[in-house]
Amino acid sequence: MLRIDLASRVPVYEQIANGLRAELVSGKFSPGAKLPTVRILAIKLGVHYNTVAEAYRQLANEGWLELKRHHGALVRERDRPQAGPDAMERFSRPLRELVAKGLADGLSPRSLAREMTETARRLEGEPSP
Amino acid sequence: MNHLPIYVHLVIAVTIGGIAILNAALFWFIPCLTRRDLYFAVTVPPGFRDQSQGVSILRRYRIELILLSVLALVAFVAGIARFGVGFARGGLLIQVVASFIAFYRARLRVLPYAVPPTMIREAELHGHNRIIPGGWMAASGPFILLVVCAAYLWFHGRESSARSVYLISTAGILVALTLLLYGLAHWVRPVYAGGPERARELKFRRTVSAITLAAEYYVTLQASWIVLVPRRGDLAAVGLLPLAFVFVLVVIVVLARLGQGGSRMPAGDHARIASSAVPIGDRTPDRYWRLGIFYFNPDDSAVLVEKRFGLGYSLNFARPTAWIIVLLVLMAPLIPVLAHLTQFLHTTQR
Repeated sequence: MLRIDLASRVPVYEQIANGLRAELVSGKFSPGAKLPTVRILAIKLGVHYNTVAEAYRQLANEGWLELKRHHGALVRERDRPQAGPDAMERFSRPLRELVAKGLADGLSPRSLAREMTETARRLEGEPSP
Repeated sequence: MNHLPIYVHLVIAVTIGGIAILNAALFWFIPCLTRRDLYFAVTVPPGFRDQSQGVSILRRYRIELILLSVLALVAFVAGIARFGVGFARGGLLIQVVASFIAFYRARLRVLPYAVPPTMIREAELHGHNRIIPGGWMAASGPFILLVVCAAYLWFHGRESSARSVYLISTAGILVALTLLLYGLAHWVRPVYAGGPERARELKFRRTVSAITLAAEYYVTLQASWIVLVPRRGDLAAVGLLPLAFVFVLVVIVVLARLGQGGSRMPAGDHARIASSAVPIGDRTPDRYWRLGIFYFNPDDSAVLVEKRFGLGYSLNFARPTAWIIVLLVLMAPLIPVLAHLTQFLHTTQR
């Protein structure tokens, strides 16, 4: 299920790309699987075709998708890329900012820790307790 | 039309009178059939219609509806008395316009209570749902019937310009209905992406598709009947008028029972599934609904969205495809007029 918020400050195409990337990382689409066409996904989300096309292009540039005219987007077999020297910093900084925002919004440190533990479990393929 | 026997006038008057009563009933009940957080085509809090302001707006709308319908009825009867049964259609038009004025005034009264619709959008990425009953095999049936009909006339030397024009205009209507059928399968934006609400929505779309398909067969059978009946084809058409009325009546009753987007349908096995159940309207912003009836949103890729007032689906007039459908529907009755005009000009030139 892909979910976007049109009222969010994050651009819609980025939300779509992020949502699709999450689905692809979780392995819900095997290589060779077909994603909905730009037209169909744009209709389902109620956004302009170009917005979805931009998200697909971004994922294609990252090597996740192969775009075929009139045939939608195919999921590609993707090797894990070599992490650069600043890759961890680029991941950690927004994570720290997100945690700070959660605390500022009134979430307890315990609930945030629980959420992150849950995410880590899913990442390592462990079942939830 | 005056050369027709009295019983034909009677059939026309009774059918159009029936349509007028049906129209009044539709305008009376329809504000209650929409999703809980849509009221007179405005997004409102889900409980608004039960609050005193909501009840009062509905009461005032219905009083205005009665008054305007009575006025339209008077004009209708006076028009028939003065101009004959030919005026009946004009009376119907007066009634429809009057009802829309009542609706629009109610909408203006609801607008101060409007709340912003949800900006959350969801989409199911997996799977494909079959919407058209019988698939494209069933949808091609009316076209085959029409071709067979035309071939029969041609082989028996019975083709005439009037019959050909009628068959061509019927083909135009069929193309428009087929486009709508395709649109129901591919161009509709679902409101819910999962859960029992999604199941209801799909059932509703299948029902609307079945009705559109039935309308295609009805139009084709009517056209075949009219062009194949050897004599008095106009009387055959009049005989089919009440049948068309019954068809429309059944469609309205079925759709009214299902509710907007199938929201009043039993969800079957899905009822056991935990429901997201929070009413979320139709996910179309209010500002894009012109007069509360016409949807015009250039940023929405959907060609068909749920109606805000009425049953079924509405076109997004910001999409060129919507205008192609409208033009095809409008062209069908225009073809015979243009044919007559061409013939007339041809005769006068000689």
